[in-house]
Amino acid sequence: MASGIKQQERQNTIAGWGFMVPALVIFAIFVVLPIIFSVVVSFTNWNGISPPSQADFVGLENYKRVLIQSGITQTDFYTALKNTTYFALFVVPAQTILALVMAVVINQQRLRFKQFFRVSYYFPSITSSIAISLLFMLMYQKDGVINNFLSTITFGLWPPVPWLNDPRGLFHIILGGLGITVQTVPSFMTTVTIGGVTLWNWISGPAVSLLAIIIMNTWTTIGTMMLIFVAALQDVPLQVYEAAAIDGATAWQAFRKITLPLLRPTTFFVVTLGLIGTFQVFDQVYVMSSGGPAKTTLTIAYLVYREGFRNTAMGIGAAIAIVLFFIIFAVTMAQRRITEGKPEE
Amino acid sequence: MRTLRYTLFALLIVAAMLLVACGGTTEPTPAPAAPAEQPVTEQPAAETPTEAPAAASGSMTDLVLMGWSSSPAENERLQQIVDQYNAENPSTNWILSQVPDYDTKLQVSLAGGSPPDAFYVDAFKFFDFQGAGALDNGNDKIENPDGFVPNLREAFVAEGQFYCPPKDFSTLALEYNTAMFDAAGLEYPTADWSWQDLEDAASKLTDKDNGVYGMVITPDMARWLAFLYQAGGTVYNDTATEMTINSPEALAAMNFYAGLIQKGYAAQPSDVSTGWPGEAFGQGKAAMVIEGNWIMSYLKDQFPDLAFGVSQLPKGPAQQATLSFTVCYAAPASGKHLDDSWKFINYLTGDKGMAAWTGLGLAMPTRTALQGPWSEKYPEQQPFIDGASYSYPWQFVSGFQAVLDTMNSGLQQVFAGLATSEQVLAEAEQVGNEVLSR
Repeated sequence: MASGIKQQERQNTIAGWGFMVPALVIFAIFVVLPIIFSVVVSFTNWNGISPPSQADFVGLENYKRVLIQSGITQTDFYTALKNTTYFALFVVPAQTILALVMAVVINQQRLRFKQFFRVSYYFPSITSSIAISLLFMLMYQKDGVINNFLSTITFGLWPPVPWLNDPRGLFHIILGGLGITVQTVPSFMTTVTIGGVTLWNWISGPAVSLLAIIIMNTWTTIGTMMLIFVAALQDVPLQVYEAAAIDGATAWQAFRKITLPLLRPTTFFVVTLGLIGTFQVFDQVYVMSSGGPAKTTLTIAYLVYREGFRNTAMGIGAAIAIVLFFIIFAVTMAQRRITEGKPEE
Repeated sequence: MRTLRYTLFALLIVAAMLLVACGGTTEPTPAPAAPAEQPVTEQPAAETPTEAPAAASGSMTDLVLMGWSSSPAENERLQQIVDQYNAENPSTNWILSQVPDYDTKLQVSLAGGSPPDAFYVDAFKFFDFQGAGALDNGNDKIENPDGFVPNLREAFVAEGQFYCPPKDFSTLALEYNTAMFDAAGLEYPTADWSWQDLEDAASKLTDKDNGVYGMVITPDMARWLAFLYQAGGTVYNDTATEMTINSPEALAAMNFYAGLIQKGYAAQPSDVSTGWPGEAFGQGKAAMVIEGNWIMSYLKDQFPDLAFGVSQLPKGPAQQATLSFTVCYAAPASGKHLDDSWKFINYLTGDKGMAAWTGLGLAMPTRTALQGPWSEKYPEQQPFIDGASYSYPWQFVSGFQAVLDTMNSGLQQVFAGLATSEQVLAEAEQVGNEVLSR
C-alpha cells in the first residue's frame, strides 16, 4: 500500500514539474539569464559592438567611475539621479492623491454616468505612451494648446514658454523671484560639489522641461492607480459607513477614520508601483527630449540606454542599471518602513 | 497507468514547445527561403519594370543590406538599384532592410554575431566600430579608391587603411528666403560674407512682432563647429591627445553664435513652435537657416511654393569652412560572404551605382568624376558641392559622444542664459581631456 502512495506521489511530482517546465524555461531564458548577463557585463569593459566574449574583466572599475571617481560619468549619473528623484518626488504623491480622490468620487453610490467617468479616467493608461508623448509634444509647443489655455485663463498674463526646451529649474525660478540667483548666492553653493554636481544645482528642482514630462506622466498613470483604489474601495463593507453615519460621523471623518486606514495596504501597493515606475521612466524621455535640454531630463534609465547604445560603453550602462536596481530596492524598503511603520491590527 | 500517460503527454507538449521555440533561433535566415526567386519588392510595380530573370534556382544566397530609412523617394531609388543588381547577379539575392532605430539594431546584430552582409556606417560612428574590430578592412578590395574626394575618403581611413567607401555626403550651407531679402532690400548672401554681414542681415530681417527671425539656429555642436573652424579653432590636437577647444577662437565663435540668440536676431526652433530649423524656414518664420542638402527635398515636398536660395557659409575671421556629413558602406569583419559583400559595395559606390543613387539630387556623389555632371543637373545645389573642398568631416575619436553631450548641454545653457561661453568651453576641455586620456 505504502509503495502505491509513494508511486502516486512520484507521478504527481513528475506531472507537476512537467507542467511547470515551459514557464520555468521561459522565465530562465528571458528573466534569469539577462539579469545574470547584465551583472557580468557590469564588471567588464564591453563596448556593446564586438562579441561580449572579447570584453575584458575590469572588476569594480565601472562602479567606481559611476559612483566615486570624479569625471563626466559620475557627474552624469548624479545629475540623472537628481532628475529622477525630483521626478519621483513630484509624480508619486500627485498620482497617489489624485487617484485616490478620483476613486472615491467614482465609487459614490449616486454618481451618474459612472461608466463614462471610469472609462475616460482609465483611457490614458491603456493608450500607447509613445502616442501620448507625441501628442503632448504638440500641446507643449510655444503656441500650443497648453500655453494658449494658460494665457487665456490668466487674461494674457502668462508668458508662453517653450515647455520642452526650457532648462531652468523650478526652485531656481522661485528663488530668482525672491532675488536669489546664481550670482547672489553664497559662493559655497557653487563651489562645493556632491558627486560632481554643485549644491546650487542639486536644489534646482525639476526643470521646466522635466515638469512637462512630470505632468504628462502623472496624467497617464493616474488611471491604473485609480482602478486599484476603486477595487479596494469596493471591498470596504458598507456597514462600517452606516455605523459611522449612525454615530454622527461627517463624510470627512468617515473618509479619514475609515476609508484611509482600510486602504492602507492598497496605498502601500500604489506608492510602491509608483516609485518603481518613476525611477524607471524611459520612454517619454526617449521620445520627447532625449535627456535635453542641458541634461535636465536625463533620467537614470535613459542614461543606461545612452551609455550602452550611443556612447559604446555597455559595461558602464550595465553598472548603472545594477545601481538603479539597488536604489529602487532601497527606496521601496524605506517606503515600506514608513507606510507600514505602525502595526495595525 | 493513466497518470503516466498524462505525464508523457505533458512532456511531449513541452518538448514540442521547446522545439518550436528553438527552431526560430537556430535558423537566422530572415526571409522564407523557398520563394526567393522573386526579389522582394515592396515598391509599386509600376515604377520598376521588374525583370527578375533569375531562372537559375537552388544556388542563390540571400544577403542583407541594412540601412536606415530616409525619404520615400530615396528608399524607392535604392530598392531599384538593388533590384537591378540582383537581376544582373543571379547567384545572390540582396535584400534591402531599412530599419528604424538603426544604431541600436546594428549594434545588437554585430554583438550578437549575425551582422548584415553590408551596412551603413556614419563617419561619426566609424572609429567606434573600427576600434571594436567590427569592420572588414576594405583597403585592397575597394575599387578605384583614388576616385573619391580626398577628405571624404580620409574620414574612413584608420591606421592607414581605407576601410569602407563613402556612399554619399552632405555639407552645410546657408539657405535664405529670397522674398524676405527682396522685401528688406538686401543683397543675397555670398561666399564672401563675413560674420558681421550675416549678423547685420539677420538683425534687419528680424520682425519679432510677426514672429519672424533673421535666423533659426539650434544649440548643437554639429552647427556651431563650423563657426569654430571658420574662426581657425580646433577641437583637439593632431594626435588627439589633448583638447584645444578652450581657445580664443572657440570663444569668439561661441560668442558670435550664441550672440545671435542673445541679441534677438535668431531664435531656437522651439521658440517659433517648430521641430527643426528647416520647418521654421519653410513656414516663413526664419529668413536664413544653416542646414545640409537634406533640407532641399524636404522644402520641395512640404513647401513647394517657397522661394529660396542657397549660398556657401559666410567666411569666418580665419578661413572658409563647413562641415561634411558622410556615410560609408561597410562589410562586417565576421561576414560569411565577404566576396559577395564587396562586389555589391563596389557596385553601389562605383560610377554606375553611385550615379544612379545620387541621380535624385538628394545627396551628393563622393566620386570626383561624378560631381561635375551632378552639379550641372542640380545647379541650385552648387554651394553644397563647393563646400566639399574646404569641409571638415563631422567625426571624432572613439568615445567622444560624452564630450558632444557636454558641449550640446553647454550650448543649450548659453542659449538660455544659464552659463557663459567661458564656463562651457572650460568644461568641454576638462571632459574632453578625460575622454582622450582613457
